[in-house]
Amino acid sequence: MITYLRLEVLRVIRNSRYLFLSLVTPVGFYLLFSSLFGSQPAEGLKQSVQLMVSMAAYGAIGAVLFATGPRVAAERGSGWLRQLRTTPLPAGKVIAAKVLAAMALGFPAVVLMSLTAALAHSVRLTAGEWAAFIALTTLGTAPFAMLGLMIGYLADGDSSYSLTLAAWFVLPAIGGLWMPLSILPKALRTIGHVLPTNRLGDLGWRIAAGHAPSASSGLILAGWTAALAVLAAWSYRRASVRDS
Amino acid sequence: MTPNAIEIHDLHRSFGAVRAVEGLSLTIGKGESVAVLGPNGAGKSATIAMLLGLLAPDAGSVAVWGMPPGEAVARGHIAAMLQEGGLMPGVKVAELVGFVRGLYPDPLPLDRVLEAAGLTALAGRHVDKLSGGQTQRVRFALALAGNPSILVLDEPTAGMDVESRRAFWTSMRAEAAAGRTVLFATHYLEEADDNAGRIVVVDRGRIVADGPATEIKAAAGGRTIRFSLAGGPSAGLEALPPA
Repeated sequence: MITYLRLEVLRVIRNSRYLFLSLVTPVGFYLLFSSLFGSQPAEGLKQSVQLMVSMAAYGAIGAVLFATGPRVAAERGSGWLRQLRTTPLPAGKVIAAKVLAAMALGFPAVVLMSLTAALAHSVRLTAGEWAAFIALTTLGTAPFAMLGLMIGYLADGDSSYSLTLAAWFVLPAIGGLWMPLSILPKALRTIGHVLPTNRLGDLGWRIAAGHAPSASSGLILAGWTAALAVLAAWSYRRASVRDS
Repeated sequence: MTPNAIEIHDLHRSFGAVRAVEGLSLTIGKGESVAVLGPNGAGKSATIAMLLGLLAPDAGSVAVWGMPPGEAVARGHIAAMLQEGGLMPGVKVAELVGFVRGLYPDPLPLDRVLEAAGLTALAGRHVDKLSGGQTQRVRFALALAGNPSILVLDEPTAGMDVESRRAFWTSMRAEAAAGRTVLFATHYLEEADDNAGRIVVVDRGRIVADGPATEIKAAAGGRTIRFSLAGGPSAGLEALPPA
């Protein structure tokens, strides 16, 4: 399974679309927005810090979603997952490796954003805060790995790509990663507040502000992970029947 | 008592209203080379899917190496080259074959697998950049990598050119000669006759003939078509293709 995990990571790194979407895009947005709104404070944090957290989460979520949704759909279409089922590698390990590989691919997006913020806008956190921010933002992408799996097992080729892209746009937008929740209409704000995108941002915002990350955000993310895992498992079973 | 390589008893499987497999029974001894011959839709692929535990039968039983198919797969007794078995995208040939052989308890050496599949020169190539015939060879390598006792090949030469076909069957016969049980599906009588000791003919989900290759070929080759001219002119009959 370690070899499989290694290959899963390796092949995504070799794919330039991954690099562009999940690494370059958020960094580009960060530089653009921070130069536009640089001096205004947002949600009690300096704009450059608040945006760093948002865009790190945004990039990591993109990496995780694209490493799961469209890839699983493509592998189902090509028959690779079927071929893999004729080997002794159990289905559970295949899925576990996919989740871990996807989350590992979120890590560089967070690190690159941190470096960009530190270099371009002299963002300074303590070593402990950097470590906690990078680790929690990476781990907190777990619900998105489940969402990606679900998309990959439910949708085929092109539609999985569209769904992934839609999820990567809508969830961060309503979850306050693109703009503060406070400017959204009240109904959306209520929804946005419990979305995993917002809770993932909340972990980082609190750490960057020098506070401990809130336990409720962690619990809500864990809840999303569990609920989406159940749905992903259901989609997997549905796909196994349909694809065989 | 040593079990047979494969024992299928009264197997049934439908897809909606389509009865793909209808009462198929087949026993294959260890070390046999068996061709399953039949047209598209005869139930060959569905039977193979059940043999590998990919598909659950509606009724009937399947035993592989004396155990349920899923267990035989998990223990590496059986491996397959599937008709629609894709490759992992974005990796190199040697990485992929190396990964798959690592999943088995007693795999063949990597060099040996690559050589048998004619892939030694392509080891560093990305799998996405292979031709159809080369892709088939990688699939063969994946099936062989785990050193399985039973090798199942579903229309293995589809998409191969003549030269690749010849090389493929030479390797396959060498594997069979080394004691591996080989079961392959094809719709070419010639491939079945050249490469299997025994031919099983499947039609509409059941076995309609089963015997040594020579016997089946004689029966199939002896087909006669009769028709009556009903008093019509016989001119132009010489234009019909020869038998």
